[in-house]
Amino acid sequence: MRMGANVVAVAEHREGKIAGVTYELVAKGRELAAKTGGAVQVALLGKGVSGLAGEVASRGVEVLLAEHDALAAYTAGGYAQALAAMLRSPPKILLAGHTSQGFDLAPRLAAEWTAPIVANCVDLAMEDGTLIASRKILNDKMAVELAVTSERPYIATLRPGSVKPVGPAGAPGKVTPVSVLIDPAKNGRTFHGYERPEVQDIDIAAADVVVSAGRGIQKKENLPVIEGLAKALGGVVGASRPLTDMDWLPKTRQVGQSGKTVRPKLYIACGISGAMQHIAGMKDAGLIIAINTDPSAPIFEVAHYGVVANVLEFVPALVKELKSG
Amino acid sequence: MPLDVVVCLKQVPNPDLQFQVAADGKDIRRDALNYKTNGADEYALEEAVRLKEKFGGKVTALTAGPKRAEQMLREAMAKGADAAVRLAFDDPAAVDDYQVANMIAAAIAKRPHDLVLTGVQSDDYGYSATGPLVAGFLKIPHASVVTRVEVSEKGLKVWRELEGGDQEVVSLARPALLTIQFGINQPRYAPLPAIMKASRQPIEEVKPTDLGQSTWDGFRGPYTLAVRKVSPPAAKGHAEMIPGNVADQAKAVAQLLREKGFVRG
Repeated sequence: MRMGANVVAVAEHREGKIAGVTYELVAKGRELAAKTGGAVQVALLGKGVSGLAGEVASRGVEVLLAEHDALAAYTAGGYAQALAAMLRSPPKILLAGHTSQGFDLAPRLAAEWTAPIVANCVDLAMEDGTLIASRKILNDKMAVELAVTSERPYIATLRPGSVKPVGPAGAPGKVTPVSVLIDPAKNGRTFHGYERPEVQDIDIAAADVVVSAGRGIQKKENLPVIEGLAKALGGVVGASRPLTDMDWLPKTRQVGQSGKTVRPKLYIACGISGAMQHIAGMKDAGLIIAINTDPSAPIFEVAHYGVVANVLEFVPALVKELKSG
Repeated sequence: MPLDVVVCLKQVPNPDLQFQVAADGKDIRRDALNYKTNGADEYALEEAVRLKEKFGGKVTALTAGPKRAEQMLREAMAKGADAAVRLAFDDPAAVDDYQVANMIAAAIAKRPHDLVLTGVQSDDYGYSATGPLVAGFLKIPHASVVTRVEVSEKGLKVWRELEGGDQEVVSLARPALLTIQFGINQPRYAPLPAIMKASRQPIEEVKPTDLGQSTWDGFRGPYTLAVRKVSPPAAKGHAEMIPGNVADQAKAVAQLLREKGFVRG
C-alpha cells in the first residue's frame, strides 16, 4: 500500500441531509493537508447522492463519490469495503466525525488497515510528519496531547463542534466518481430502517426557561425541588442523560447530543457536571447558570454564572428568595 | 441455543473526582485514585447475564489491567458472570487503544465467543474505539451504541442510537461484537451470598506468552505513540462564580434573575 499526501474526510449524511460535522472535517483537513503537501478530499458514499456531492463540492472541496446499492445506508462493513476500494493509494490522514457513525467506523478501519487511530480529538496538527492529537479526558477535566508517528495512514475522529466549519466557496470543487466493488456477503451487517421516538410529552426545545436536573439531585424523590424552581420561573424540567437512563424522567426530557438540543433564554443546570454530550445540547442558551458541588466541573466552562453548592440546599433557598421578592 | 458471551470490562478512576497532573506531566497522579467498573460496562455485563438467563450458555468477564482489576472481575462474577479472565497488563494509563484491543482480541480468539459485548465508551478516556477495534481484529461484524438486542436463530437484531434521539435497526451475523449504551437495562446489585462465593472463585490470568508474544509490546501497531503532555484544559471561558454561603448565593442569583427579567410579578 503506497501512501499519498492527501487528507480524506468521510462525509456523514442521513436521509438526504449532510451532517454539519462534515464541513468541520473539511476545515481541519484543509489545515492538515497544507502540512502534508496534499489536498483535502471528501469521500461521499451512498446511493443516489450526486445532489449531495454537489452540495459538498460547493464548499470548494473535491468530492470522491462512490455510489452502490450496498451503500444506500451506512454500515461499518459497507463503508470499510468501499473506502478500501476507492483509496487504492491510501491517504496520509483519514478523518471522521466523533459521532455514532464516525466512532463506529474509524476504529474498525484502523484494525483492518493496521493503522494508528486517535479518537475523540478536539484538535489535530501535523509537525514534521508526526500527528499531534489533542483530546480531553476524565469528563473533560484534563487535556492530553499525544504524538503519533507512522508510515501508515493516520485515522482520527474529531469531536463535533471543535472547529469552525468551512462555508460556501466561490469556486466549487470537482466531483470525481469512483467505482467500488462491494461484496454484501462480507459485510455481516444489514440496515433495516430508522425509528423515531413518538413524542407524547412537552417539548423542552420550545421552552424559554429550562431547569435541568443531573445526578447531583441524588435520588428521584428530590425531583420536586427542581420542579419547584422550574415552576417559579415559568419553565420546564429537563435532565441529563443519567437521569433518563434511570427512568427518573422520560427520555423526551433529555438534553444533549443523544437527546434534545435546546436554546432557551435561560438554562439552569442543577447538579450536572457537563459531559460533552450534555454540553452539545445546551451551550447556545441565552443565559446559563450552573450549580455544582465540584468547582472543576466542566459545566462551569460554558455557564455564564456558577454556584459551587449542593443543589438540594441551594435550589430551595433560591426558590424562597424568588417568592419573597 | 446457548450463547458464549464474552464481556469486556475496564476498571477506571472514578471520573467524579478531581485530578492532578503527575510530576512528569505525562499522566494524572494515580497514587490516591478510587477505581470503579466503567459505567457503560456495567450495562454490557447486565445485558450479557440477561442473555445467558434467557438462552443459556456462559458469560466470561474479561479485562486487561493491573492486579487491582481483580476486584472488578469478582464483582462481575457476583452479578452473574461464570468465569473471569485478566490479561496481566500492568500499564495503569494504557493510552494505546490499538494495542489493548489487539491483545483483547487475541485472548478472545482462543475461546468460544458467539457474542462479545463492551461498554460504548470508557468514563476515563471516552474514545469509544476499543469495541470496533476488537471486532476488526477478530474479523467479526459489530455495531456501536446499542440500546436493544434481539437474538435470532443465526444472528442478532439490534437498535443503535444515533444523534438527536433517533434509532437505527440493523441485523448482524454471529459471532458479533456490540458496544452497549447506557440505559439499555437496569443493572442488578450483587446479592451478598454471591459476593461471598465470588471471592473464592478463580480468575484466569493471561500473559503475553499465552498469546504467542514475549511481551505485550508485541501487540502494538506499526507506529510510535507517546503522551507529550497532560494538563488541566485551557478554559475556553469560565463562569462568573457567585461567592458566599448558600443564603448569599441564593440572594445574588435571585437578584440576577430579576435584573434579567426572568421573574414575573
